[in-house]
Amino acid sequence: MGAAATLEVRNLRVELTTRDGISPVIDDLSFSLRAGETLALVGESGCGKSMTALAVMGLLPHPVGRIAGGSIFFDGEDLVAASDRRLRDIRGNDISMIFQEPMTSLNPVYTVGEQIAEVLRRHQGLGRRAAWEHAIELLNAVGIPDPAARVDSYPHQMSGGQRQRVMIAIALACKPKILIADEPTTALDVTVQAQIFDLLRNLQRETGTTILLITHDMGAVCELAERMMVMYAGRKVEEGGVDAVIAAPRHPYTKGLIDCVPHMIDNPTAARPPLVEIPGIVPPLRDFGAGRCLFAARCAERVARCAEARPEDVDFGAGHRAACWQAGAA
Amino acid sequence: MTSREEALLTVRDLRVRFPLKAASLFAPKRYLYAVDGVSFSIARGQTLAIVGESGSGKTTTALAVARLIDAYAGSVNLQELDVLGLDREALRAARRRFQFIFQDPYSSLNPRLRAADIVAEPLPPMAADARQRIVDDLFEAVGLRPEQQRLFPHQFSGGQRQRIGIARAMAPQPDLIICDEPVSALDVAVQAQVLNLLRDLQSGRGLTYLFISHDLGVVQHMCDQIAVMYLGKIVEYADRLSLFQNPLHPYTRALLSAVPRVDPTVRGGDRRLLLQGDPPDPANPPRGCRFAARCPVAETRCHQEPPALRTLRNKQQVACHLVTEDAVSPLG
Ligand SMILES: Nc1ncnc2c1ncn2[C@@H]1O[C@H](COP(=O)(O)OP(=O)(O)OP(=O)(O)O)[C@@H](O)[C@H]1O
Ligand SMILES: Nc1ncnc2c1ncn2[C@@H]1O[C@H](COP(=O)(O)OP(=O)(O)OP(=O)(O)O)[C@@H](O)[C@H]1O
Ligand code: SF4
Ligand SMILES: [Mg+2]
Ligand SMILES: [Mg+2]
Repeated sequence: MGAAATLEVRNLRVELTTRDGISPVIDDLSFSLRAGETLALVGESGCGKSMTALAVMGLLPHPVGRIAGGSIFFDGEDLVAASDRRLRDIRGNDISMIFQEPMTSLNPVYTVGEQIAEVLRRHQGLGRRAAWEHAIELLNAVGIPDPAARVDSYPHQMSGGQRQRVMIAIALACKPKILIADEPTTALDVTVQAQIFDLLRNLQRETGTTILLITHDMGAVCELAERMMVMYAGRKVEEGGVDAVIAAPRHPYTKGLIDCVPHMIDNPTAARPPLVEIPGIVPPLRDFGAGRCLFAARCAERVARCAEARPEDVDFGAGHRAACWQAGAA
Repeated sequence: MTSREEALLTVRDLRVRFPLKAASLFAPKRYLYAVDGVSFSIARGQTLAIVGESGSGKTTTALAVARLIDAYAGSVNLQELDVLGLDREALRAARRRFQFIFQDPYSSLNPRLRAADIVAEPLPPMAADARQRIVDDLFEAVGLRPEQQRLFPHQFSGGQRQRIGIARAMAPQPDLIICDEPVSALDVAVQAQVLNLLRDLQSGRGLTYLFISHDLGVVQHMCDQIAVMYLGKIVEYADRLSLFQNPLHPYTRALLSAVPRVDPTVRGGDRRLLLQGDPPDPANPPRGCRFAARCPVAETRCHQEPPALRTLRNKQQVACHLVTEDAVSPLG
């Protein structure tokens, strides 16, 4: 196949400075995003999913966060070495992001039309009139009914699903090569969520946009992504094709993430065995970066070595990899 | 669903409305009918789930059942007790019989109280050692360590806080526990721990749950019966297996078809019954079936007459003109 890698992250290390000291919130992370694909990034809260996205966007929280090592190649250019000005340029034109909370990222004092048109004027260099007309087209494209009227609405006058569509419209305004969607449907009703999924899917089909989808929902992963990557405590623990990983996860954490959720099925029976539990919680940030498997305390399969050394990445073929001392044993 | 004799909780034709801001001083008073004639019952030891989209009236129903807000019509019976008819004094005495577990484990606990005192809050006055014994028991039941009794809420993780909330709800040995989105704020791993705990406690102590959740996987795992609400009304009401195996109402169909399956062989697109548009304005509900404007099979009648919730031959209840008595959905 050999599609050009649009984004190539290599040995990325992001450090956060907190009261407890300096911790690698992203610890030696490597992955690539291929042109036109959807890659899902999953993991529990606090595992570093949003931080990964912010590092790519050059939007790490200032001054606590900084890139301490590695590279992020976008079409061959290393963004880690790029100037602020260049990053701003890329953010407007090549990579855009739908943030986790739509209400906080839309400006309440401007109409949605003004907010979309502003992006178009700034990044596409459109004139007032053209920007306004294109804003209406975009609202139409993301499925807002009666866009010519709704373009004058303020964010609070829209439903949660409509605001999320507006966010997508803004993210699409500059025709990005890469769209990073951070939990784009978490706060929405399932019926609305389904509409947004279809919207993203159609969009990708029409424009070939590459999508990095951040989610904690395996259902969303199966709906939208071809490949997936699982993060735990700042590290990649598994990656591979969605079908392969869901059918036969190699890392105990991935296995737990899939099994602990009661997935709705079409033909339930009377039997309802207890859910599989992953005991405990994600370790605190100050433990990130330790020279051992950070999942060991919660893992039923751990052996002595797990507490002594960081597991190496094992390749299971067809791009399926896992970082677990026991992954090859099964 | 449950015959009246064995029902622990029976709700009949419950109605709650909120006054809307009047357009002018002389304009007639207008209301938002958030719960518009809801009836259901739950047998002891069972779980009834209420599902439906945001704003459909799930929380309002639960609050009205527990008399935390006022219903303007209908009845709520907890066994012999006529809940809506109680005077202030009697209501206070009855309060311990229904307890709440809320969605947000952060804001629902008093930050200034120690965990032991939070859990003991709903207990009636009693000797200190008796009280301590109950608290010890509850801490053990929800999987918290004895020494954690002295800690304050901010010293617990989200899942642990939810465990405190559950222990507090169980303290007065209530007849009914109302769980409003009890795991929505929790991470998936912790969610599994809390759901298992809720089911263990139910089978160990014969607890009865009114369970509200927007997550249909969670609901399928937890419930015995399920009521689907749309804009203040129940549109379908059935036992767990019937509802998931043979959903009849077009809205129920749409809802279930929208849930992403964790099975890469059944990707969304084809299977899905997509809903167009948004739900109608609850302050101006349509005259006929409230779902008609978004329903793929709506007929003229649907736009004119509101369908009543009927009991079909198989005991499933549904409010749709086009579902047959033999439980055949208009969607096939
Ligand atoms: N501005 C900040 N200052 C200090 N620590 C932060 C900051 N933002 C995030 N963190 C910490 O960094 C870690 C990773 O956070 P991140 O937001 O990437 O998690 P996530 O995987 O996106 O989680 P979620 O699913 O909750 O969104 C967490 O421990 C978080 O508390
Ligand atoms: N105190 C109130 N005053 C006025 N309107 C209210 C009040 N509480 C709820 N409503 C309205 O009543 C309707 C039902 O709200 P309710 O909170 O019961 O919905 P829900 O089904 O629990 O939704 P969600 O899934 O978002 O929690 C909504 O239209 C809501 O805006
Ligand atoms: S490395 Fe060890 S502790 Fe870590 S996931 Fe694998 S078996 Fe479990
Ligand atoms: Mg995040
Ligand atoms: Mg609610």
